[in-house]
Amino acid sequence: MDSWIIEMMLGASIFLGALALLAVLWAIKNGQFDDKEKFLNAAKFDGVEDLNDAVDLQKKKEQMKKEYRPE
Amino acid sequence: MSEQIACTHCHLEFKKSVMIEDGENYFCCNGCQGVYHLLSDEGLDGFYEKMGSTTLTPPTQQYEDSANFDAPAFYDKFVKVDNDGFHKVSLIIEGIHCSACVWLNEKALHKMEGVIEADINFTNNKATIVWADDVVKLSGIIDMIRAIGYNAYPYDASIQEAHANAERKDYYLRMTVAIFATMNIMWIAVAQYAGYFTGIAQDMKTILNVAEGVLATPVLVYSGWIFFRGAYYGLKNRVVNMDLLVATGALLTYIYSVYITILQSGEAYFDSVTMIITFVLVGKFLEVLSKKNAADTLDVIGKNLPSEVTVVKNGETTSCNLNDVGVGDIVVISTGEKVLLDGEIIKGNGSFDESSLTGESEPIFKDVGDKVVSGTISIDADIYFRTTKDFQHSTLSNLIALLESAITKKPKIEQMANKLSEYFSSTILLLSFATFLGWYFYPHSFEISFMVAISVIVIACPCALALATPVATLVGLSLGAKKGILFKEAGHLETMAKVDVLVLDKTGTITVGKPEVITEKIVKEFDKNILYSIVKASKHPVSAGVLGFIDKEEVQEVVLEEYTQIASAGISAIYNGYSVLGGNLKLMKQHNIDISYESDNTLFYFAFNGEVVAIYELRDKLKEGAKELVSNLAKKGIETILLTGDHTKTAQKVADEVGIKEYRAEQTPEDKSLFIEKLHKEKKMVVMVGDGVNDILALAQADIGIVMGSGSDIAVDVSDVVLLNDTLKSLEDALKISRTTYGLIKQNLGISLVYNAMTIPLAMSGYIIPLVAAISMSVSSLLVVGNSMRIQLKWKKG
Repeated sequence: MDSWIIEMMLGASIFLGALALLAVLWAIKNGQFDDKEKFLNAAKFDGVEDLNDAVDLQKKKEQMKKEYRPE
Repeated sequence: MSEQIACTHCHLEFKKSVMIEDGENYFCCNGCQGVYHLLSDEGLDGFYEKMGSTTLTPPTQQYEDSANFDAPAFYDKFVKVDNDGFHKVSLIIEGIHCSACVWLNEKALHKMEGVIEADINFTNNKATIVWADDVVKLSGIIDMIRAIGYNAYPYDASIQEAHANAERKDYYLRMTVAIFATMNIMWIAVAQYAGYFTGIAQDMKTILNVAEGVLATPVLVYSGWIFFRGAYYGLKNRVVNMDLLVATGALLTYIYSVYITILQSGEAYFDSVTMIITFVLVGKFLEVLSKKNAADTLDVIGKNLPSEVTVVKNGETTSCNLNDVGVGDIVVISTGEKVLLDGEIIKGNGSFDESSLTGESEPIFKDVGDKVVSGTISIDADIYFRTTKDFQHSTLSNLIALLESAITKKPKIEQMANKLSEYFSSTILLLSFATFLGWYFYPHSFEISFMVAISVIVIACPCALALATPVATLVGLSLGAKKGILFKEAGHLETMAKVDVLVLDKTGTITVGKPEVITEKIVKEFDKNILYSIVKASKHPVSAGVLGFIDKEEVQEVVLEEYTQIASAGISAIYNGYSVLGGNLKLMKQHNIDISYESDNTLFYFAFNGEVVAIYELRDKLKEGAKELVSNLAKKGIETILLTGDHTKTAQKVADEVGIKEYRAEQTPEDKSLFIEKLHKEKKMVVMVGDGVNDILALAQADIGIVMGSGSDIAVDVSDVVLLNDTLKSLEDALKISRTTYGLIKQNLGISLVYNAMTIPLAMSGYIIPLVAAISMSVSSLLVVGNSMRIQLKWKKG
């Protein structure tokens, strides 16, 4: 067996694993796991409407951040 | 019988005839109806679908004006401005029952113009709200929360709490990286170990080494950063700590492994690097997880104090901010209210509950000219009093200030494992250095000497040592939780196991705290319905005691006329034209009724038509198991002391009954705290058990403060251990659990030390191969974890 196969497999799996790890780290940092109950309930209840609301809220937040200039 | 029907909003069931009919919907009150329409108008009726069959509290409560929330003083205290110029406040939302409530609050707030962020934690009902202050004011936000049927009050999310959360999250991130890398390195390592025994080509070995190196690097740099930081601060303070050992071990092993990988000969130890860091990090994380969140304590004290009092100004009563009341102002207190300022009564009289300050269970009667003290509660008094101090100098403020300082001054016991790890770390580092010198001058190459020296550090890796305490305490904590004993911090188990003196409060701790009828003497047959009605209307503890004695199945409430409560005497009323009296001897004498019955206990007389028909003897009963507790503690060599605000006579009686030799009576909260300080000076480890506000100073001062779950909120917050089921049996259990756990900690430390002592000589003589090092590390850790689990078995055996 050529060693390049091992190299490729190791490299690919470590790379993919790292991507998943980064996603988890991002979610932790973002506070998505802070409230266990809410996290589980979100998986259970959130529908299309809730996701749209979340996107709208994000937009509203960014919009306000751009425009808002307190004296 | 009319049909029961559920309210469309709150889901509570009532008779159909009393409901408000509104199209297809039925409501139990205007509040529910209002909220329902508001939610439908706002398009938030998805709430009802989400809430399922949960019931809510109907939103009928009237709140003070929300404009208070816009006061500059309030903003100063609770509102923070972030870098973007947005305002931010932390609130506790009241009335959250289910996840649908969280959803509704967040949705409603998100819909508001100007609200940027509203995040509510379902577990602790705490909310963080960010908004643009020139678009919407905080009062508007509070009004919205109230309009949909909830209430909110602010709390000071102090830096401490934010810090604790941030630390926890930081550990979580670092641990995730470490565990991910360790798990992946392990399967690569399996290939290497296989190769070690069956032969493996050097180029293949190098590939595996490189892969391991890639995975080990983030663990060393990112996850291991905590140990480098800890080692640095340790060295700065001239302390050799475990962090230094872990940091040196991991770093040197890493450097050596990189060197081997480049050199392409020999064995790399990348798996050991990640394993050391992961194991010790998990141990540290467990410790961080079980740390008490002291920040919550003071929030609750603030919550318990109303911010406003009723004062008389220019002949009119108005409400006034507590801090604005000056000396000489006239304050009005009505039945059931808490006194917040010190002063002297100028009009009215009545009984006060001073138990929060003195611990005395009997209500105290006060008349014009008597002093009222802040922190006490009016039982039946409607009075006007002139303040003698402003709030900043009141007894209550003073108590809060003392408490704050007691919490911060609490003695910190140095935990055994920390002391041990210091010696251990220095010894290992020295041994490793000696090994290197030995091998180098007993001529070997630098590489071999260096590798052997490193193997000493790796094999002695304090994984088991790091896990010894946290794992045992975690098992102890969960066992306690099962028995209704909450230890707020893991370290408390160890501290409690070393206790010398147990200080007990009387009322509510060894006694039930409520007078109960012990004998009933019926002089003449009478209608029990009248007695029931008369005691039911009074809030006095004695009335409550008699009420508790009456069998509620057999009686019915009757209509009484001219019902009057006579302060510190009893109740008088008229029933069908006959006079009815219920109260103490004083009341009977006032009505010229002669009684010859006497007793040491509290007596409640019931007279009908000028004649005593029944006498009830009441006493504050001892809790079950009080005697056994004291004698069992004496057997274990723990001294018990009774500390109470009650009179000497009462204290002596209770002490004699349970067999306590030493007692102190008539103690103020400060006295109690001073007494504990005195015990500390005698180098004694003190556990204080109490329940009331009058105990909080002492609870905070003691090494361990234990509080009964039914105790006041503040006492529960200040304490270190909470006994949820209020029994003395659980106090004994708590002591037993702490002792067993402490025993296990010692065993665990013993196991890990013996294990190391056996393997270190092998490592020093150069017999340790990577596989042995890895297995040894896991086995010693497993031994420690397994041993800790034994606590469950040990407990079952008794």
